[in-house]
Amino acid sequence: MAESSRRFTYAILGLAAVLIIAVLAAGCTQQPGDGQKTTLKVTGSTTVLPIAQAAADAYMDDHPMTDIQVAGGGSSVGVQSVGEGTADIGMSSRELKAEEKTRYPDLQSTVVASDGIAIIVNKANTVSGLTLVQLRGIYNGTITNWKAVGGPDQVIVVVGRDSASGTREFFWESVMKKENFTATQLEKNSNGAIRQTIVQTPGAIGYVGLGYIDAEVRAVPIMVNGTPVDATVATVLSGKYPISRPLLMITQGPPSGVAKSYLDFILSPAGQKIVTGEGFVPVA
Amino acid sequence: MSDRQAVRRSRSEIGVRVVWFLCALFAVITIFFIFAFLFYDAYPIFEEIGVWNFLSGSVWNPTGFPPAYGIYSLIVATLLATFLAMAIAIPLGIGSAIYIAELAPYRVKAWVKPAVELLAGIPSVVFGFFGLVVLTTWIRVSFDVPTGETWLAGSILLAIMALPTIISVAEDAISSAPREYKEGSLALGATHWQTISRVLTPAALSGITAAIILGIGRAAGETMAVLMVTGNAPVIPDPIWDVLSPIRTLTGTLGIEMGEVPVGSTHYHALFGVAVVLLVITLIINFSATIILNRIKRQQAPPASTGIPRRFPLTGWMERQGIFFRAHRTPILWGLMAVVLFAFFGLTGLGIALVLYLAVRYIPGRISPRWAQRIAFSLAALCIVVVLLALGIILYDILTKGLPYISWEFLTEPPSNLGRSGGILPAIVGTMYLVMGSIAIALPIGIGAAIYLTEYTSEGRLVGIIRTATDLLNGTPSIVFGLFGFAFLVIYLSFGVSLIAGQITLALMVLPTIIRTTEEALKTVPVPVREGSLALGASKWQTIRRVVLPPSVPGILTGTILSIGRVAGETAPILFTAVVFSTRFLPSSLFEPVMALPYHLYILATNVPNATGQQYATAVVLLGIVIAFYAIAIVIRHRSSVKYRW
Amino acid sequence: MSETTIITTENLNLWYGENNAVVDVSMQIPDRRVTALIGPSGCGKSTLIRCFNRMNDLVSSCRISGRIEFHGNNIYAKDADPVEIRRKIGMVFQKPNPFPKSVYENVAYGPRIHGIKDKKRLDEIVERSLRSAALWDEVRGRMDESALGLSGGQQQRLCIARTLAVEPEVILMDEPCSALDPIATAKIEKLIDSLKQQYTVIIVTHNMQQAARVSDKTGFMYLGKLIEFGPTSQIFEHPQEDLTENYITGRFG
Repeated sequence: MAESSRRFTYAILGLAAVLIIAVLAAGCTQQPGDGQKTTLKVTGSTTVLPIAQAAADAYMDDHPMTDIQVAGGGSSVGVQSVGEGTADIGMSSRELKAEEKTRYPDLQSTVVASDGIAIIVNKANTVSGLTLVQLRGIYNGTITNWKAVGGPDQVIVVVGRDSASGTREFFWESVMKKENFTATQLEKNSNGAIRQTIVQTPGAIGYVGLGYIDAEVRAVPIMVNGTPVDATVATVLSGKYPISRPLLMITQGPPSGVAKSYLDFILSPAGQKIVTGEGFVPVA
Repeated sequence: MSDRQAVRRSRSEIGVRVVWFLCALFAVITIFFIFAFLFYDAYPIFEEIGVWNFLSGSVWNPTGFPPAYGIYSLIVATLLATFLAMAIAIPLGIGSAIYIAELAPYRVKAWVKPAVELLAGIPSVVFGFFGLVVLTTWIRVSFDVPTGETWLAGSILLAIMALPTIISVAEDAISSAPREYKEGSLALGATHWQTISRVLTPAALSGITAAIILGIGRAAGETMAVLMVTGNAPVIPDPIWDVLSPIRTLTGTLGIEMGEVPVGSTHYHALFGVAVVLLVITLIINFSATIILNRIKRQQAPPASTGIPRRFPLTGWMERQGIFFRAHRTPILWGLMAVVLFAFFGLTGLGIALVLYLAVRYIPGRISPRWAQRIAFSLAALCIVVVLLALGIILYDILTKGLPYISWEFLTEPPSNLGRSGGILPAIVGTMYLVMGSIAIALPIGIGAAIYLTEYTSEGRLVGIIRTATDLLNGTPSIVFGLFGFAFLVIYLSFGVSLIAGQITLALMVLPTIIRTTEEALKTVPVPVREGSLALGASKWQTIRRVVLPPSVPGILTGTILSIGRVAGETAPILFTAVVFSTRFLPSSLFEPVMALPYHLYILATNVPNATGQQYATAVVLLGIVIAFYAIAIVIRHRSSVKYRW
Repeated sequence: MSETTIITTENLNLWYGENNAVVDVSMQIPDRRVTALIGPSGCGKSTLIRCFNRMNDLVSSCRISGRIEFHGNNIYAKDADPVEIRRKIGMVFQKPNPFPKSVYENVAYGPRIHGIKDKKRLDEIVERSLRSAALWDEVRGRMDESALGLSGGQQQRLCIARTLAVEPEVILMDEPCSALDPIATAKIEKLIDSLKQQYTVIIVTHNMQQAARVSDKTGFMYLGKLIEFGPTSQIFEHPQEDLTENYITGRFG
């Protein structure tokens, strides 16, 4: 009895060892081999993240010795990370705040793209357009049913971003005029999450970056002086669409080394093609 | 043996003992550090707006104008979510425990017990994911409400997650009730159900209470699942019983805001304030648990001989209140329930209370014991059916939607296109590294601490402190570990977001489990065996090393494997300490961040659109790894329990 | 004193798996008398009496053939109700096993499960049972304290009181004094003597002298078989079987 039990234990341990070695071996084949691997840490806004990630993929294909590590966290975290030196590039979907400029005086922003904030609703929602005033009313809780703004008779489910989000901050300043959001707003921690909730919830409304619009949601045009303006790359470029902002990549001082190489790539035609590919507005 | 040998022997004995003592002290030191760091970072918010305003402010709007930092609605939400979860889980859990302990045929019991334990192994992020996709939609459609992200969704998930704990511990307690009680009751002509309900369950009361309290701790401390399905709106439901209102718990707040808040801002300090409040709540739960359990043990055990001085001055008064309460407990409890129902539902509540009272009073008398038994047994079986059904639904949903997307490429390639294509190899490897590192840290310290506690001391003040610290560590929510890891390892020690920070944080989290399972394993070696070794002239450490440890290995192994399962599946502790969204290469040093499976699933589920297949496939891989570990642990435990029958 | 039979066994056989623990036992237990079963360890006497109240049902590997009749009715018939049988045939165990409840609640347990709720009636039954078990004077001041605080002898008398509270007809006692000191044993033996006015007592004992002291009829069992069964004085003074005589005189055991 003791023998079989001991054999069993050895068998398990042996199996575990084999598995671990196999996994590590598989991992090793991914390494760039001997030689210096340079690391670039990019942290911050989840709006900018798809651009950073797609660009990083393309960049790493051309520069196999570089490891670009992309992390989310929100625009505020992006600024603070690059300010404290824990990241090489900080991503932000809003301008630097006054306190941030005082605290980290050497930060330098590079605009890599522009972005419109699109208002999305569920595909089944028939509302034809919203004015900025109506939008504010929905988000501060005064308007609670879609029929009040020309939509179906349905309770409005207000969905927004979490507090560290640059997208939210920008929305708050430009649309809400710094009024408080309604307390029952559902908070999500990324554009993708907002989009997902809209897809699943018939009465929901949310705001996402342009790049997050797809066939499963409906982008509501903003009524400007009675004319509906859709959120598209063209209207953002021309300035007709009223809610848009620059997307920034921030460095400590002017960009240098790998960071400069990376940013140059993004600003190059190839890079800007990636930007439009992700649904954002290229730098004019 | 020469004198020199003897001296050398005694010196190494002392040395060994010191080492184990330090290991045991580790838990105390850790708890102290956790408190210290959390308090240190929370202090500014208490200073700025005052503790009372912080606790009672009803608006949480940290980025508003002006910012508001009141956590009252968060505290209420945590209480409500836990309360409803317990209301669901306690009856289901105890019913299932009774079924497994007393009613299940042997063959059924053999697979039901492991199935329930498997439920315990499912990572919370998988629950959250399932909840987000399936449960909220079901609620929205069934109750015809605008959104399913509600208090109800959160509590249902919490109940399912707390159930395995409640069931295992309660079942253990009921099974261990001495056989003599059962025989004595049956010999008096009681039916099986009467024996279970009137003798066995009361005899197992302390164990059942422990089960409930562990369940409460589990529910109150859960982060990932609640943050994915409760909507995260910091409001108090109005009216208070509106289960379909969104809520935001204390843990959810930490989960959703912590990773995104600028370090050193007021908001940052406020979040640490939230963590401190969470820790205090954990303390209160633990403390009350000890008091309640001691009371129950004292009630059932023979009265201690007089002459032992009472420690607490109020105990005499409390004793008298206790006797008064016990004598009049029926009308008091009914009165209490009537008040609660009235508070929640007004006059309808009173009506419900009246109906219930009449029903309980008059119906059981009309039913013959035989019929009462049939009804009770059916209900108990129903409980376990519901629990297994929940497990089945979740597994079915994830496996059917995820298996098609598993391919060789998926398992061996790094991700691309934000995770929508490619594979998850870096996440698998990252998880492996996290597991190996954390176990390598926790195992020696945990075993050392357990050896010290069982072999080198008897119960005393210091041991009491160590045990309390270990219990506290055990009850600490995983998100609090994450916060501590962030404040201490990432920021203070400047490790940065790194593999080592994650490994240390995870090691701290599983340390209590390893200590406890090792202790249990060591305790099953009978005293006569140790005495036999010492009587042959072996030293204490020799005895431990050669006679006590070897048969304990299966038990230690089981604890290790359960910890591995936990480490592989936890998200909250690594959220701010170790992980990054995407990296193409594997970490080349301990100070680099990693990808990890639970985090990858979380990001895919909440950030990346059009990745449903990959989400499910990641969940399947994660589930597969964790379940494999749990299955191995169960098999080992089963085989060793057969082997070692002292 | 005329003797009527209350329990009859006919060719009773019991197997634990392959092990034939009770072999072809036929006996007639007289009503309102004390019957003792003696024999060396492992002879099957405890197993036998556990058949009388169907406690062996709890052991899954147990198989029975033959008949046991209680008042002429086969207790192993398909429609026989073990719960009812146990109410009428009570049992006191070798090791006292009071519930972890108060003294009062222990004794009141039986009547409660049989549907009696009225507090006054319960009080009455509890007092009566404790008096019959010669325990009332010792516990009347601590009825609400835990039964586990009583001495071994008191606990065993409590278990007897508990059994008496359901008003059985037969009381089975499985070595009731083996865990007790001589003084407690003497008290219990005195109790048994007073019980036989109202109840039939079947007592299994290791202690031959005890059997000689308390019982009216004695049965000697060896290796599962009932070797001899008859009036106690006859078994001890003029045993008919050699085996019996060898056991009584201590040549083996």
